[in-house]
Amino acid sequence: MLAAVVVRPVRRRMSPIVAWALPLAVLFAGASAPASADPKLLEPERAFAFSVQAVDDKTIEARFAIANGYYLYREKLKFAVEPAVLAGAPVLPPGKIKHDEFFGNVETYRGLLAVRLPLEGAKAGTTVTVKAESQGCADAGVCYPPQVQRLTVALPARGAGPGEPVNATPAKKSWFN
Amino acid sequence: MSAHSVAVSRGIAKRAIWLLLAGVLALAAGIYFGRGADPGGGGSKADGQALLGLSLPDMQGQEQGLAQWKGKVLIVNFWATWCVPCREEMPEFVKLQQEFGPRGVQFVGIAVDDPAKVRDFAAELKLNYPALIGGYGAIELSKSLGNRVGALPYTVILARDGTVSRTQLGPIKPNELRTIIDQLLPNNH
Repeated sequence: MLAAVVVRPVRRRMSPIVAWALPLAVLFAGASAPASADPKLLEPERAFAFSVQAVDDKTIEARFAIANGYYLYREKLKFAVEPAVLAGAPVLPPGKIKHDEFFGNVETYRGLLAVRLPLEGAKAGTTVTVKAESQGCADAGVCYPPQVQRLTVALPARGAGPGEPVNATPAKKSWFN
Repeated sequence: MSAHSVAVSRGIAKRAIWLLLAGVLALAAGIYFGRGADPGGGGSKADGQALLGLSLPDMQGQEQGLAQWKGKVLIVNFWATWCVPCREEMPEFVKLQQEFGPRGVQFVGIAVDDPAKVRDFAAELKLNYPALIGGYGAIELSKSLGNRVGALPYTVILARDGTVSRTQLGPIKPNELRTIIDQLLPNNH
């Protein structure tokens, strides 16, 4: 496509109109064959960026940074830890009620969601793997299949303060690196 | 080289630079607008062939090859019962199947779901086109057909010659779909 545009003017001279019309034609051909309507949607791991952080030696905070225009379903969220167990059911904050014509009133989360996971049988200084299952949609009119993500985090020593956050998705690289 | 020919070749070089820039822009636009910039431009034919070569179980567990609808305008819709935008657009597909079915249009749903849920929803909707069961593996299948982020609904429209004429992530506007169908049917005037 590009080659055709560049080589032509060397072989024979074109009128300025043809010189401009050609790349324009290529542009339209490129845009229409085959046509593909794809709103600029994020990959699920970027729309719902998952991270965990050890708050202390027996508590982990799991977080979803939900991109603007995206939401997660409260009832589809599930958390598990290993090798420790959860000391109790994770306390999910109340979501925003969304009325759904098929599923009735459902609770959804937008923005930043943080869930405390109380651990039982965890040893300070060891690592714990958090497994999170989530499912969400975009306001643009698409839904993502359930995602299962695992992150391993080191528990700090007793009284040592919170550990470093661990992110599932590295920050997006810029165009130039 | 005379001054005149230097000036002319400078002019040509200048124009070539502009054309190169325009070409790069066009290429970028092609990439931006979707898959028009696929190397060789043969992706749509290959994708169509791959799709027509598929076989998946229907709601009764019978294997259905997509090749049985070869020669029709084939509208393959990846969906799931847990996907609200999918459920919202399907009544329109039922209407269009009824209206255009006799003229050689075939809708086929590929459900990223389990058979029991698909059967319930199909009954509720009075689904008049096949619903094939793809399970979560169908997400990977849709990705191989250009569904960049693996979300639903995702629709692939094949022309009668089996080439992909259009893909759509997210619901298709009913009027737009009607126009596309009209364009792909013979003697559309």
